[in-house]
Amino acid sequence: MRRIAGIILAVLLIGGVVAAVVAGRSNEDGTATKTVQAVIGSEKAEFFADPDVVKALAAKGYTVKAETSGSWAMEGLDLKGYDLALPSSQAPAVALAAKYKVTGTLPRPFYSPLVVVAHRNAAEVLAANGLATLDSEHRGTFEMAAYLDAARADRTWQQLKGARKYGELTGTLYLSSTDPETSNSGALYLAAASYVENDGKVVATDAEVDRTAPLLHKLVSVQGAQQAGSDAVFRDFVSGAGNPLVVVYESQVASLLAKGQQPDDLVVLYPDTTVNSDHTVVPLTENGKAVAELLSSDPKLRELQARHGFRPQGESSEFALDTTYLKQELTGVHQAAVPTSEVLHELARRARGQGGHST
Amino acid sequence: MRHLQGPRRGRLLAVALCAIALLTACTSQQAAEDPNAPQPGTLRVLASSELSDMAPVLDRIADDTGIKVRPTYMGTLDAVELLAKGRANGQYDALWLSSNDYLRLRPEAAKKVVSETSVMSSPVAIGVRSTTLGELGWKPDDVTWSQIEQAVQEGRLTYGMTDPARSNSGFATLVSVASALSGAQSALNDADVTEATPRLKEFFKGQKLTSGSSGWLATAYKRRGSVDALLNYESVLKGIPGLTVIRPKDGVVTADYPLSSLASTNAATRDDVRRLTEALRTEDVQRLITERTHRRPVVASVAPASGLDPGRRRELPFPGSRSVADGLLDAYENELRRPSRTVYVLDTSGSMEGDRLAQLKQALADLTGDFREREEVTLMPFGSEVKSVRTHVVEPAGPKAGLAGIREDTEALSAEGDTAIYTSLEKAYDHLGAGRDTFTSIVLMTDGENTTGAEAADFDAFYAGLDRDRRETPVFPILFGDSDESELEHIAELTGGRLFDAQEGSLDGAFEEIRGYQ
Repeated sequence: MRRIAGIILAVLLIGGVVAAVVAGRSNEDGTATKTVQAVIGSEKAEFFADPDVVKALAAKGYTVKAETSGSWAMEGLDLKGYDLALPSSQAPAVALAAKYKVTGTLPRPFYSPLVVVAHRNAAEVLAANGLATLDSEHRGTFEMAAYLDAARADRTWQQLKGARKYGELTGTLYLSSTDPETSNSGALYLAAASYVENDGKVVATDAEVDRTAPLLHKLVSVQGAQQAGSDAVFRDFVSGAGNPLVVVYESQVASLLAKGQQPDDLVVLYPDTTVNSDHTVVPLTENGKAVAELLSSDPKLRELQARHGFRPQGESSEFALDTTYLKQELTGVHQAAVPTSEVLHELARRARGQGGHST
Repeated sequence: MRHLQGPRRGRLLAVALCAIALLTACTSQQAAEDPNAPQPGTLRVLASSELSDMAPVLDRIADDTGIKVRPTYMGTLDAVELLAKGRANGQYDALWLSSNDYLRLRPEAAKKVVSETSVMSSPVAIGVRSTTLGELGWKPDDVTWSQIEQAVQEGRLTYGMTDPARSNSGFATLVSVASALSGAQSALNDADVTEATPRLKEFFKGQKLTSGSSGWLATAYKRRGSVDALLNYESVLKGIPGLTVIRPKDGVVTADYPLSSLASTNAATRDDVRRLTEALRTEDVQRLITERTHRRPVVASVAPASGLDPGRRRELPFPGSRSVADGLLDAYENELRRPSRTVYVLDTSGSMEGDRLAQLKQALADLTGDFREREEVTLMPFGSEVKSVRTHVVEPAGPKAGLAGIREDTEALSAEGDTAIYTSLEKAYDHLGAGRDTFTSIVLMTDGENTTGAEAADFDAFYAGLDRDRRETPVFPILFGDSDESELEHIAELTGGRLFDAQEGSLDGAFEEIRGYQ
């Protein structure tokens, strides 16, 4: 039975390639593929712009025109004329589905865990102070509980052993994230931190919100103005500007590595408690639904997702990566569940609360 | 009483707009034809003026992709205000500031942005004249803000910077300096600003040059020869010969130039913005950017141009709330910076009768709201000779009295007599005397040619006879009505000022723009 399925799949694949060629040709005459307007989280822009992805989608009869937006900012956009939205996690997707009266299960084709990228000097100092452990030169684990304690105590780099020799390591120790009110990775950072702060439970009640909010406020206010998208914070990091510790998606790092980059000054730290970003599709039209289905089931697209550093749902064999920087298996990394959209919004709002660190 | 009056953004708006033809430098307020008419294939981009150096890069992209960029240069605060008020809707297709940090503090403006992609980066730095560097004995890699502060205090270092209320580079510089000198370990808050005020005040005593734009700052720096350093973006400083560019070791604020698409535009426009962004981030273009503009690439595979030190610097966090950012700006304008003394030499000759005089009165009345605390304003209306010399000071304890005085005197202006431009200018120099630790300048508004009194040659001789200190007072002439461009250009050039155009643009626009230079 399995074998037969394999053969059918192979036939489908070949058919796909043929269709791509056909679609490519007829495309030049301005016919054939249906155009699908999508609004996506910024970290998926490169995936949809990849010529192979374009080709794979064209093979199935679709051209996706993707526009980026902060996941939570999508709620503020008028999505009339769009076929699908693809925020970076379930919570904003559920909110969008409610707004546009989309029923049924929302497809979640791929996911990516939140990681901390660090410059080497910073990673080394964290490791020397019990805030991280390094498995190898470019990979390690970030100790969330120890970090939250340091944040609570307003620990500065100057107070850490071994920081003195690096001039850039001064000021309060903190992770940079995106704005949790508009962008998913920032919100998920709060989800992970609140889970640890709430003694390993997902924050659900008002009392739990009250209890965790002060620390979350600290984590955010220390950063000052925050970027609106995960792509921007990662770009800043890559260009050498910005904070030496940044919360990003694993997929962003993987995507960089997949292009043949081997950044010397990059260490990927997997938080011992992290959350996954479940990229979730909100289909707004029939065409949107069809593309959502393809993203989940089309083998070529799944392979391309993996190439861009996303982990396709289901079996993980497609996800084979540069283990110099990344973990093939997420063993030893605790995946915390994300609070409901409502609770997460409230946490973000409280964390961003005006007034700075002393009002 | 410090936060008496925030910077007057509402008014700035109407004004600092200097829309211009494709990729040309911004010299006047408005272009002749409607600058904002949409054109297919052309993106109308609201941009930071520093981006004028991107012309060769954008030309190349236009060749490659067919997408043209028509920039309108504006300061960050004005651009954010425009967006917040919804006045950018339908007028602009994209936003390209040196940073969106301030934008994010204004949710009603931030909402207008759909997506933003950083294109390149440049940190705030100090460019020091080589001779000064030697005298100070600094090692460029090890210089800290505290060292800079100390040199200023000891009188061994003077510098110029752009006006934070009107220029992105000035604002980023102000945040860098305040963050570093406040000793704050994380993002600045209101208490940090208050606490750092005495130190900042000392620091800004060293500021001898102010400017509304980076371009004029560089020109004035060269001309004076007496200013030791400039504070600006690394990219700007690298373009000025003879400066050693230092990124202070204890931290900088970095501009990351996000190209942002706007919610008010349609999907096709946003797709053009996306294509432009992609084109800007290709390896070839990133290489061109770093080589041509001294900015740093944001693509890992492209190395910064030679001469851009790859060493790490701490990134100083930008304030996280509007009250802190605005409070800092307000403190700078009204308390920290050296105050200014300005003489407005105003043509009220017979030809100003009617509409022109009405425009002048309106422009001055509008301007009144923009004067800073501690500022000294002298109105010197002239016809066949100087008609009166009325000086008002905006006293911090009671600013209203000074402002009311300016309004009263403005109201009383009447048009009569000939046009004695040079005689009046000489009077203005006499009035100002030596600088007395202030920024001195003269604004000359005239609607015609010099018809009586001293001639141009007389004024040249007069100016040449002034001592060095007094020669540092620039004249900012405004081209208005039937005034003679070459005559005014000569005055600007002679005195190290800059000509402003109220023939193409508006008179209140010109007055407003000059504020950045006072």
